[in-house]
Amino acid sequence: MLERILRLAIILGILAALYIAYWKVRSSSRSDADEPPPWRDSRVLVLAAQVAALGLIWSAGDYLWANFRARTSDIGLELDFGFLDQPSGISIADNPLNSNAAIREALIQGVKNTFLIIIVGIPLAVILGTLIGIARLSTNWLLSKIATVYVEFFRNIPVLLVIVLTWTIFLNAFPPVRISWLPFGETFIFNNLRFGFPSIVGGNNFGAFQVIVLLGLLAAVAVWIWRSRLFDRTGTPHHRVLYGLGTLVAISVVGFVALGGPFDITTPEIIDRVYVGGITMIMPYAAVMIGLVLYTASHVAEIVRGSILSVDKGQVEAGNALALNSFQRYRFVILPQAFRVAFPPLINQFLNYTKNSSLAFAVGFAEITGVIQNLFGQSRPAPQLLLILMVVYLVFSLVLSAIGNLINRRLQIVGR
Amino acid sequence: MTDTAKAKESANLAPLHSDTTPAKWVKNNLFNNIMNSVITVVLGVVVVFLVVQSFGWIAGEEWEIVRVNLRNFMVGQFPSDELWRLWTSAFLLIGTFGIGTAAMAHNAYDDANEKGLVAERPSLLNLLARFWPVLAFVALMVSFSETLPPVVGVIAGVGAIVASRLVGWALPASIRSLAVPMMAIGTIVAMAVLAGTGGLIAMSAGVVALVIAASGLSRRFEGSDPKSMAIRTGGPIIIGAVTLVIVNAIGFDGFGWEDWGGLHLTLFATVVGIASGMPIGILLAIGRRSELPVIKGFCVVFIEFVRGVPLISLLLFSSFILPLLFPPSVETPETLTRAMIVIALFSAAYIAEIIRGGLQAVPKGQTEAAQASGMSAAKIQRLIVMPQALRAVIPAMVGQFISLFKDTSLIATIGVAEFFQFAAIANSQPNFLGKSLQLVTYSIIAVGYWSFAYTMSKESRRLEAQLGVGVR
Repeated sequence: MLERILRLAIILGILAALYIAYWKVRSSSRSDADEPPPWRDSRVLVLAAQVAALGLIWSAGDYLWANFRARTSDIGLELDFGFLDQPSGISIADNPLNSNAAIREALIQGVKNTFLIIIVGIPLAVILGTLIGIARLSTNWLLSKIATVYVEFFRNIPVLLVIVLTWTIFLNAFPPVRISWLPFGETFIFNNLRFGFPSIVGGNNFGAFQVIVLLGLLAAVAVWIWRSRLFDRTGTPHHRVLYGLGTLVAISVVGFVALGGPFDITTPEIIDRVYVGGITMIMPYAAVMIGLVLYTASHVAEIVRGSILSVDKGQVEAGNALALNSFQRYRFVILPQAFRVAFPPLINQFLNYTKNSSLAFAVGFAEITGVIQNLFGQSRPAPQLLLILMVVYLVFSLVLSAIGNLINRRLQIVGR
Repeated sequence: MTDTAKAKESANLAPLHSDTTPAKWVKNNLFNNIMNSVITVVLGVVVVFLVVQSFGWIAGEEWEIVRVNLRNFMVGQFPSDELWRLWTSAFLLIGTFGIGTAAMAHNAYDDANEKGLVAERPSLLNLLARFWPVLAFVALMVSFSETLPPVVGVIAGVGAIVASRLVGWALPASIRSLAVPMMAIGTIVAMAVLAGTGGLIAMSAGVVALVIAASGLSRRFEGSDPKSMAIRTGGPIIIGAVTLVIVNAIGFDGFGWEDWGGLHLTLFATVVGIASGMPIGILLAIGRRSELPVIKGFCVVFIEFVRGVPLISLLLFSSFILPLLFPPSVETPETLTRAMIVIALFSAAYIAEIIRGGLQAVPKGQTEAAQASGMSAAKIQRLIVMPQALRAVIPAMVGQFISLFKDTSLIATIGVAEFFQFAAIANSQPNFLGKSLQLVTYSIIAVGYWSFAYTMSKESRRLEAQLGVGVR
């Protein structure tokens, strides 16, 4: 290391000496030039500082890389990605992949599981957090105190603890499989291994029905736009939610009847220890997701509260003067303005949520971090796997913040 | 009329007693319309149900596991015959910080009085109101104690807090102005009792001596003549080096941190993480604002990379890759040391972003005025920009401290037995295996984390109000 830096310093010194000599020659040949000497010339100094910094970073990196290569070749570690096609030797809960499937497939399944935590949890966290944030500002003393206790509790304990605590409570609160809790006439299944919910299963013409629903959705959007335009032009109440949903439901029902019942509702059942029908999730997934939602909601609630408080008091008073009730006041006056303020910090919370989903392995849910930790246990090459892990999270972060920034740009008022 | 006078006047104008009776209060705050009445009744039932349930649970649960593992939760596997080190260092810290903070409070009080502001002498009751969660947690823990020493120690500790606050307040002004260096020295001595006088401790003692000497000498020798400039630059270095040699030579054997654990380790890791992340973070923040593309690019990539990946992946890096980065001739450091390196870099990236925010809050005119008066770039940063930026980010730094305090629970996942880990360890002991007492241990852990984090977050809000950040 020291040797390297010394060598670098010598090279830089020679370069500097050459440049000074060049400057001397030039300034003596052109007597009218009032160029400063190199050690006072900001252009030269800027360049020199950057070359020095680059040299330092480069030599440090090179040094670490040399150590790394020496150590990895000592223990005979190959630094390629050929191992991705080998059988993984791990099995993932709730997944047809067995231990003979390639590592590549196990990793893809891990990414999918991470995505499942994110895509279900973030909307739930936003909804719960918004409700609690509003509750904190309620005039009802009890409601606002309960919301405050909730926020202060979850904000001040580690997220890992929240997840493990949720998991422990689920484990103790739900019965074992053989005496599963079957509420609502056996349409749900809850036990300490798995939760089951009713779902739909496609029958004849299900593909055609999906197309019809999609068309219905397009029609609903068209109706929505038509009602909005009408409202803008004539001022008649638009009722666009009512009209839009009505269009969608009407078209779907017509399609359902015309195609002769293209899908059925199935309820989950346990037949010979196998879950049949419905949609089921393993308990750790539910625990992780709910734990993360509870934790993130406490942060979202604070953001929402702050953004509501940031809305000008005159807006609320104007709403009162127009005789809006408290729901209308929130829906049409306060929340649209507050949301604009709340959105940038919310993006930050989404990113935190994504990163915190990496703690799911603590309760045995195999998302990407869990899969990779399992693979470490199989003594698979750590450097490559860790690189994959970090790249996956960086991609998730980048995509989320890109989407967030896009929405944010649409939200902000232009020209203020 | 000055602001204070106005404040005084409005305080006088406030009604002496409000005319709300309890019945009126209940009507106004709980039953002011039908909707709220329904909410109140429903929530009231739920709250009563939950409270009854949790009291039933607390009464019915076996708390033996906490009693048996009390020491594990607090200090982990710290050997019994070395425990005196912990007690000594704790009392040293209590003493110096009690005296130091009381002295600083007295200085601020005098300052305020001099300027004719309203100042109140901080009372012990006030302190109790601010730190009750931590005190309650300590009391809870002591109540689980099976032996006498912890009880005696904690009572003596509370006595020491009271005594040191009183002493600190009563000190003469000339000594009170030395509060900060005194606290720094107290911390170093406390650390030396724990970890011995060699290596890192000697080095940090040297650095602290250097910083203290630099600030002291630069105040005394202000001139620009060669002699005072030489004293100003050379003096601190000599003093720092001498301190390093002396501390190193004392030869007080310590106790490596590989056997540390429990809440002690969690608190220690947090403090070390922030303290070592701070200087790196400041450099990264300045680097990110640099106009030189190479330096700026490096800082941006580092900060964004660290902030973009979860801490757990960095900890996995520390346990699987970091050992491979040391030269083959060097023995790799232990797990905790490697984890601390990564935590320092992790917190540095977050601190850098906080400080960058503070730097952006300093008006550009400040820098331009400094440039106009001919200050060098380093001097502008050190004397003009940084003091203003750092003052603005104190609350955010406390927030970062809290979040690092919570995040240190993750080092459990790479096999370091800190506070969180002992909840699982306790349940795997033969006596408690299969009794599913996880809820008991996790709730104790939760109370522990909560009491510290909540106290700190309240403190940060108080600081924010005091510093008037965001209010101009």
